[in-house]
Amino acid sequence: MVELAIRTELLVKDYGSTRAVDRLDLEVRRGEVFGFLGPNGSGKTTTIRLLLDLIRPTSGRAEVLGLDPQNNGVALRERIGYLPGDFLVEGRQSAVQLLTFLGNLRGGVAAARIEELAQRLDLDLDRKIRELSKGNRQKVGVIQAFMHEPELLVLDEPTSGLDPFLQHEFAALVRETTAAGRTVFLSSHVLSEVQEVADRVAVIREGALVTVEDVEDLLARSGRRVEILFDRPVDEREFFDVPGVSQVRAHGSSLHCRLEGRADDLVKRAALHTVVTLSVEQADLEDLFFGYYDRSGEVDDAD
Amino acid sequence: MLTSIFSKGLWDSRRSLLGWTVAIVAVGCGYSAFWPTIDRPEIQEALDSYPQGLLDALNYDDISTAAGYLTASVYGLVVAILLVVYAVSAGARAVAGDEEAGRLDLIAAHPVSRTRLGLQRCAAVLVSVILVSFIFWLAMLALASPANFDDISVAQFAAMHLHLALFGGFFGALTYAVGAATGARSLALGTGSAVAVLGYLANGIIPTVDGLEWVENLSPFGWLTGSDPLRNGVDVADCALMGGLAMLLVAIGTWVFNRRDIAV
Repeated sequence: MVELAIRTELLVKDYGSTRAVDRLDLEVRRGEVFGFLGPNGSGKTTTIRLLLDLIRPTSGRAEVLGLDPQNNGVALRERIGYLPGDFLVEGRQSAVQLLTFLGNLRGGVAAARIEELAQRLDLDLDRKIRELSKGNRQKVGVIQAFMHEPELLVLDEPTSGLDPFLQHEFAALVRETTAAGRTVFLSSHVLSEVQEVADRVAVIREGALVTVEDVEDLLARSGRRVEILFDRPVDEREFFDVPGVSQVRAHGSSLHCRLEGRADDLVKRAALHTVVTLSVEQADLEDLFFGYYDRSGEVDDAD
Repeated sequence: MLTSIFSKGLWDSRRSLLGWTVAIVAVGCGYSAFWPTIDRPEIQEALDSYPQGLLDALNYDDISTAAGYLTASVYGLVVAILLVVYAVSAGARAVAGDEEAGRLDLIAAHPVSRTRLGLQRCAAVLVSVILVSFIFWLAMLALASPANFDDISVAQFAAMHLHLALFGGFFGALTYAVGAATGARSLALGTGSAVAVLGYLANGIIPTVDGLEWVENLSPFGWLTGSDPLRNGVDVADCALMGGLAMLLVAIGTWVFNRRDIAV
């Protein structure tokens, strides 16, 4: 049996009559990078806060690193690094003061370790927190989550506010973590932010699990949005039979469609005309969800 | 200073603590230094001509001695009010203020229990109140001779300041407890202010109504000055009441804090 870093069983969290987390079953394996995807307000943060015992479940249970968060919260949190979705701290202290204090709550973190991470992320540790930009503040958050080399990292929207260079550095940190056999659980509302680092992703919507699958499968399934601009109007019907292409719409001389799998057939068909520009982008998560709902609808129809 | 939640709590409140200490010492000593001016026949005669009911309501029942004057106008009024404002706001900030600012999640996600988090934050507030009372005590001792109230002994002052620290600690514990139990800073501030206002009225105005004299026994202001610590020393019953209630409030607030969700 695979050892699990996180397991939830029928986890439920209600706020009054609102169900924030709905009978969630999750299994995160040790040593993997697990992406937790869902639109804003879908219950990602609530789930994470349940795992850390910041809030208590209405019913169901969670087990993190083999421990029950409610009964073994302190022992558990010793082994976790956590980056909140909103990294808010007192602004009149310097970054190094804050990081030293947080390290001391864990029995101390070497100053050299903090400096090394700050250097990697290009953060001036002596600046006051309130003087830092949102991106630099987020770096402080990333450092405090990683600095004590925890067994499990729980990161709520870690890359929000980080520029591409830092996203890259962040991805490197995550890879080093898992190379050492440790586990990373990170949430996002954008697939593109996690696809680079995550092995598997869970998608949740309105508190309930939609799917768990390998990132590669999800990417293949989610398809891409393709827009082709020709030098003159084209007839969209010409593209209906291209393999992997769906949702074809033409507006004047531009053509929009959704593409799954290889782009070869579409490119060759388009090349029958004069192509001015061509853009391809990852279908966003909302598209992906609609994809799921379409799909399940189709299955229902077929039944 | 960055080693525990307790020391960090004190360190983070250093500016506000310094400001309030300066304010309380300055205002307290300023009013106290007024004593030689009050202690003159013409002023005493003027006061004698006031209706007794008004003097009772203002707690000016014995203003002809230094102890009476200091109790009525300094310890029972201006300093008490300033200390209450400090303790109420510091207590409300300890858990609820941080929580409303969204800062509690990060600390609570560290390997500290809720009980430890709550109690250390609360202890930082209580220690700061004790610190203010202690520094003000030193200032009053220094002022005693130049301001002509050196017939009050060091021990009598110490007794008064013990009462003062417990009185401030009671209010800090109250707003800590409401904030820790509910996470609502404004509710904590409101409760603290309401208790302070009602307590003040219960110690001065309300007991002037016949048959309501007993209300004084329910007032924190009564526990602070009712036994006349500047004359009679420590009143064990009043001190035990303030300390006991503070401990009970802290225990209840922490117990609920341990069992509730932290607000986002």
